[in-house]
Amino acid sequence: MDNTDQISEKEKKTEGSSHKIGIYLWIWGLLFVLSFFSYMVDWYQFQGMLRWSLILFFMFLKAGLIMAFFMHLFWERYALVNVLLWPMTAIACFIFLMAAEFQYTFITRMFYFFVGGAA
Amino acid sequence: MSSDPKIDGFELKPGFRGMASDTGSDQTMFKGVHWGKAMMWIFLVSDTFVFSCFLIAYMKGRGSTPVEWPNPSEVFALDAFGVPVPLLLIALMTFVLITSSGTMALAVKYGYEKNRKMCGWLILATAIGGLTFVGMQVYEWSKLIHEGVRPWGNPFGAAQFGSFFFMITGFHGTHVSIGVIFLFIYAYKVFAGHYENGGKRGWFTTMKGDYVEIEILGLYWHFVDLVWVFIFAFFYLW
Amino acid sequence: MSDEYENNKSGYQAQSSEAITGSAGSTSPDIDYVRPAELPEQDLYHGHTFITKWVFCQDAKVIGVQYFLTAVFTGIVGLILSWLMRLQLGFPGLAGFITAEHYYQFVTMHGMIMVVYFLTALFLGGFGNYLIPLMVGARDMVFPYVNMLSFWMFFVAVVILMASFFVPGGPTGAGWTLYPPQTILEGTPGSGMGILLMLVSLALFVIGFTMGGLNYMITVLQARTRGMTLMRMPLTVWGIFTATVLAMLAFPALLVSAIMMTLDKVIGTSFFMPTILKAGEVLEYGGGSPILFQHLFWFFGHPEVYIVALPAFGIVSDLISVHARKNIFGYRMMVWAIVGIGALSFFVWAHHMYVSGMNPWFGFFFATTTLIIAVPTAMKVYNWILTLWRGNIRINTVMLWCLGFIVTFVNGGITGIFLGNVSVDVPLSDTYFVVAHFHMVMGIAPVMVIMGAVYHWFPLITGRLLNETLGKWHFWTTFLGAYSIYFPMHYLGFIGVPRRYYEMYDSPYMTSAVGMNEFISLAAFLVGAAQFFLIFNVIKTLKTGKRAPKNPWKANSLEWHTSTQPPEHGNFGERLPVVHRWPYDFSVPGAKDDFIPQTTPPSEMVHTKVEKT
Repeated sequence: MDNTDQISEKEKKTEGSSHKIGIYLWIWGLLFVLSFFSYMVDWYQFQGMLRWSLILFFMFLKAGLIMAFFMHLFWERYALVNVLLWPMTAIACFIFLMAAEFQYTFITRMFYFFVGGAA
Repeated sequence: MSSDPKIDGFELKPGFRGMASDTGSDQTMFKGVHWGKAMMWIFLVSDTFVFSCFLIAYMKGRGSTPVEWPNPSEVFALDAFGVPVPLLLIALMTFVLITSSGTMALAVKYGYEKNRKMCGWLILATAIGGLTFVGMQVYEWSKLIHEGVRPWGNPFGAAQFGSFFFMITGFHGTHVSIGVIFLFIYAYKVFAGHYENGGKRGWFTTMKGDYVEIEILGLYWHFVDLVWVFIFAFFYLW
Repeated sequence: MSDEYENNKSGYQAQSSEAITGSAGSTSPDIDYVRPAELPEQDLYHGHTFITKWVFCQDAKVIGVQYFLTAVFTGIVGLILSWLMRLQLGFPGLAGFITAEHYYQFVTMHGMIMVVYFLTALFLGGFGNYLIPLMVGARDMVFPYVNMLSFWMFFVAVVILMASFFVPGGPTGAGWTLYPPQTILEGTPGSGMGILLMLVSLALFVIGFTMGGLNYMITVLQARTRGMTLMRMPLTVWGIFTATVLAMLAFPALLVSAIMMTLDKVIGTSFFMPTILKAGEVLEYGGGSPILFQHLFWFFGHPEVYIVALPAFGIVSDLISVHARKNIFGYRMMVWAIVGIGALSFFVWAHHMYVSGMNPWFGFFFATTTLIIAVPTAMKVYNWILTLWRGNIRINTVMLWCLGFIVTFVNGGITGIFLGNVSVDVPLSDTYFVVAHFHMVMGIAPVMVIMGAVYHWFPLITGRLLNETLGKWHFWTTFLGAYSIYFPMHYLGFIGVPRRYYEMYDSPYMTSAVGMNEFISLAAFLVGAAQFFLIFNVIKTLKTGKRAPKNPWKANSLEWHTSTQPPEHGNFGERLPVVHRWPYDFSVPGAKDDFIPQTTPPSEMVHTKVEKT
């Protein structure tokens, strides 16, 4: 069979997506609300674990909404989604290890500044 | 899944079964995904690693400095009617960027509906939003420089504060600026009808134009917004 | 084994008739059915002038050759640098012009050139560009223009790198790892313009590579021909593809560290610079974290090792299979091993940093992950050997290089297991044992594969066969010479000779090292000179060499079944090939020939015992 005569007209039309406008407006509104909330975290000067968990919660929620709906990942086939999300495990590993590393660097610095290295 | 394409001779299964059969099939792995769109996605993953490395470096740098880190809530405060409001400018910048992200999402939608006018105006609105963001960032930078914050030191605390601030927001701002340039170009292309009637040949390519290019542009723009979400959380709120 | 196609005939029919309903112009259902093309034909830009045909060319094959030649040029520069280093180490003071500063610059440039500008560019840019579109059955890379930009960006990066030899102060001499703070401090050779040009060159390389890498990935994922599933791709493509994925995810860390170090150098930030006392004076730097650079660098650097190794694994699998006339043993295992090694390579980086003063608990984590990598790697080695087992081995030059690779790789891999353990690494760290290890495993072994690949694909690229006699001379001098260099180096490491030292002077406990260093240097001169066998061979062959018949090695993969040999722009003439099988159907019982090209339809092979792929 020849390659050229097999491109159906269907294909061109179906590529991409067209969703109801409502979903975009909803997500848009939610993003504003969530941004407002994360701003309020600073406004009310929450501190400690509460602040951190709230910041991270709103951050991941916003990022998830943008990726899922504005970037259409929610509607993409899993083959693509899977390929895009797996590499993030390497980033997660890097983050956790560097979090351990900065604490260790800080502790050693404090030790040598205040206790001294000449044992 | 409403956006699944139709492919001759291939049954598109939903969910993880679909993932397995798509991956195991011949010709393409991402069924119905335009080459340019796949390229943009892979590029964005790579770019995610760039920004992640910046932010991880920032975490490591901030965590291990023995000098106290400046309080971003105070440094980035802005006087509104004589009262210092914490992070006011940053909140506005976030507002502007999310607004532009929303208009971009709608532009993609109208692009697929072949609504040339709506699509063009929304892209133009996005570009203006981006331009506003860059303008506000210029104001923020000049204000901080005026207050004595430099990449190599600042009056508030650890020297790395200025270093990471200018580098990370600068790199993000560069992404926004590049995006704005392309938004203006594509607004022109949409208005000029480059995607109508089978499409006009683009630059540097022998492929015909298609409204999928607006989605590709949209992916980039939403990514810029996405990065800002992380910068906002980690740099300004943390 | 049963007669696959006979038994499955009804199954094929059911599948194909089901698929065909609804599509216009359906043919009668048969076992040769391959579903129609999803995408229209790629529209290519054909060059007409000399400039568009050979300089700013958009044909992936020409770009591949451009990459190849540029990389070989940098490789020769790296080789000359290694000669100069060995001259100093073997015969200190003989060449008076080599000062300590020069020696460090040679070490640095040799390392950086060989790892990044030679091996990475050659495997991914050279072989990747030439072979990916041909092997997956595409007309060209998916974005030819971007592909062209990728090469020219690489070319500019090379020019800037070479320019650093001629700036005041010379190139950087900080070691290829460029560890701060000494890299950008006065006193280190090339701490002025040299390091700056190096960082700029690296950043350009990363940008250029990103453009190329997107092409390789999307071509493999989205532009395969009809019938070409991922599990029917030659392992060469798998190796290059996985290496590209690694590069796309690892190079960002290099880019980031290059940017941060440039800022440290140029505008005086202190990302990596702690408070430093110099001649009693406190420098303006302070509060930065040198170890952060090491983490960023090795987050790039370790995947980089596999960026070099995985294409070599892939290519050597194909060469062994073709020249042993046997299907590759455990194809799927090989694929998963490549992917597994690639994925794991992002979780092992700090095994380069056991003695750096990082968090001591990391040693446990990284030693564990490092040793886990030995599992898929060992699987690959066993599979190569089992492919050779009872094969119809042709001892030609290509096969010799492959066998040389296996031996060298096992050798380097086993020393890698030594070094992966913290307690063994600590005394061996920064000795010649490490030098011997990484030269064996990612220097000599991949270069052997490159040589084998050159002898294998030269007829495809030029239409002429390289001279076998010269090739065998080339192999044996290189192989024996390389072992003469690196085997004694393990011993040097055990007696504690430190690496990166300009001279050993009169260290009494190292008397046995003196003679050995002389021997190593002589061997190094010999191995370097032996490469001229290849250059002479290429020139001689291009002038008077034997014309290659079509498909001289009787291989199955698509690149040998193009309309013309060498393939023209567009690769496959009028029609793209349709793939029916994997590329490893060699010596199939019942088949007429001992090879079945990937394009042979099942109906021609009904009474043979082919594997279902």
